[in-house]
This record gives sequence, C-alpha cells and structure tokens, in this order.
Amino acid sequence: MEKIKKFILNLVFYVMFFVFSIIAIPPVVLLALLGSLIFPRRVVLKRWRRAISWYGKIVICVLPFPFIKVQYKDFGRDDNREGPFIFICNHRAASDAFLMACLPFECIQIVNTWPFKLPIFGIGAKMAGYLSVKEMPIDVFLLRMKKLIGEGVNVISFPEGTRSEGKEMGQFYSSIFRAAIETKCSIVPYCISGNENKPPKGSSALNPGIIKIHKLPALRWNDYKDLNSFVLKNRVREIMRNELIKMDQK
Amino acid sequence: MDKKKIEEMVNQVFEESFEIDKGDLSPEKGIFEDLGLDSLDIVDLVVALQKKFGVKIRDDNRVREIRTLGDIYNFIESLYNEGNFSADK
Repeated sequence: MEKIKKFILNLVFYVMFFVFSIIAIPPVVLLALLGSLIFPRRVVLKRWRRAISWYGKIVICVLPFPFIKVQYKDFGRDDNREGPFIFICNHRAASDAFLMACLPFECIQIVNTWPFKLPIFGIGAKMAGYLSVKEMPIDVFLLRMKKLIGEGVNVISFPEGTRSEGKEMGQFYSSIFRAAIETKCSIVPYCISGNENKPPKGSSALNPGIIKIHKLPALRWNDYKDLNSFVLKNRVREIMRNELIKMDQK
Repeated sequence: MDKKKIEEMVNQVFEESFEIDKGDLSPEKGIFEDLGLDSLDIVDLVVALQKKFGVKIRDDNRVREIRTLGDIYNFIESLYNEGNFSADK
C-alpha cells in the first residue's frame, strides 16, 4: 500500500510540477520584464520575490497534498512586526528551499554554488538577488547583506552549507552570523523536521508524510551583542538541535 | 616558556574566546571537524592568539597548514623558539 501511495504521489507531483511550471513561469517572467521597464528596480524585485514565494507555496503545500502535509507552528508570533530578520534553518532536503519560500516576508536566500547553475531556477534566483556565499569574498558578502537588510529584505540561510546526511545537524558556518553581528539584525531559528525523505539525499523520489516547521522566538541584538560569530552560531545551533530532538520524537 | 605553558595558554584562548569545554581540548582534535571552526573563525582565532601571546602571526604562511590543536601548540612553540615573542605573558 505504501509503495502504491508513493508511486501516485511522485507521478501526480512531478506531472503537476512540470505543467504548473510551464504555465506559471513564462507569464510571470514576462510581467517582470515589462514591469522593469515601467517601475523602479526595488518595486520589481519586491514583486518578483513575492512571485517566487507563491510559486514555492504552491509547489510544496498544494501539489503534493494530501500525501505530504505541511504543519507550521509559530512560537515567536510577537516578533513578526519587527524585522528584517535573518532566518536560520536546518537543511535536510532539497525541499527546504521551497518550504522557506513560503514565508510571509520579502526574502532572499543564501545559496550554495549549484542552485545558480540550475537552468530556470538559477536564473530566477539570480534575478531575485539570492546570494551565493561561496562565490564572493566575505567583505563583499557583508556589504551585500548590509544593503539588503537596509532595504528591509529578510535573509534565509542554511548555515550547514549542505544537506545533512541524517537527522543530526552538521556544523554551522560563521559567515551569516558575522553578518548578523554587523547588521545587528534579529535572528530567527526555523526548525524543519519530517522532510529528510522528501526527497532523501541522492534521490528525487518523494515520500508521503508530514513536514513540521517550527519558527522559534527571535534572538535580538541585545541577546547576542557580546558574542562572537563562533559562539553565536553554536548557541543558535544548540537551540535548534534541542527543538529538533523534540520534533523528531513526536 | 615551556610547552606545557603554551598548551595551557592556547587552551585558554579556546575556552575564553570560543567557549569550548576544557575536556574537548586535546592535541589530536581537528580544529575544523572536531572543534567546529571554519575559515572565518580562524581569523578570530589568529587575533585571539596574537593578543594572548603578544606576537604577530597574521601574515605567517604556516597558519594555513594548521589542522589540529597540536599543530597550534607546535606553531606557537616554534615562534617562541625563533625569538618572535615580545614578552612572556
């Protein structure tokens, strides 16, 4: 029964994913190009990022439903009026980028080198101003981060750098935490559980189940101003690790 | 300055600047995979070591070859033997 369910999920999902992308992407790109002739760059970027957010929401929440359900819990609801934020997420599966695209904020993501090389998504990510941290010196990265935060853009980062092999988080890289210290930006940890097999590393086959996302309370500048980036990254990692243990046990 | 003192002072840097437990500090520990530092953290480490030992090591190419805590002990010891220290702290 599980195998049949998995087969139907993947068949339906990938057919709909392909059809939806073919239908949705060209007109949105065209609108963005036309918009860039009329509206200021900042306005076009905002709309483009919102379009990516809707695309991500449909791909991860609508297309695989009811085989895959996403449960979202916000434990830091009071923080939402502040911002911009740096969102720190654990990284177990390729679906994380889509899951984070669902956040109700104007966001860009910090990505590895390979997403920029994807034929369509890579161009879309570049157009949205996503940052490939491995392709730029740290001082350039920090300048770009300051500019984005100054414009009120939220930043999503997966500081493990690559997908973890299992449920245990990898070590965090410091660059995003250094950026947080420089910009005095609030840090919001996001824990994602249940996605480790959607799809598993090295495969593109999705498995049915529930993906849980927990947004934890923000760490504000006052909470971490006395820490260096190494101590800060480990502090955030520990908070997330404890939450993920609880989430995985349920 | 004997090696024991150097080890003690290097360990103090890791405890004070990086909040790493004393029990986790042994010569064979890899500073990247075991202690969790990355290339950016190395910059902070170099600054902390310079402050602790009063010696300039930022431009020393041997820093790039450091992989374990033991490598740091040996590196600092070699600096001391070369007479690079301004004063014992």
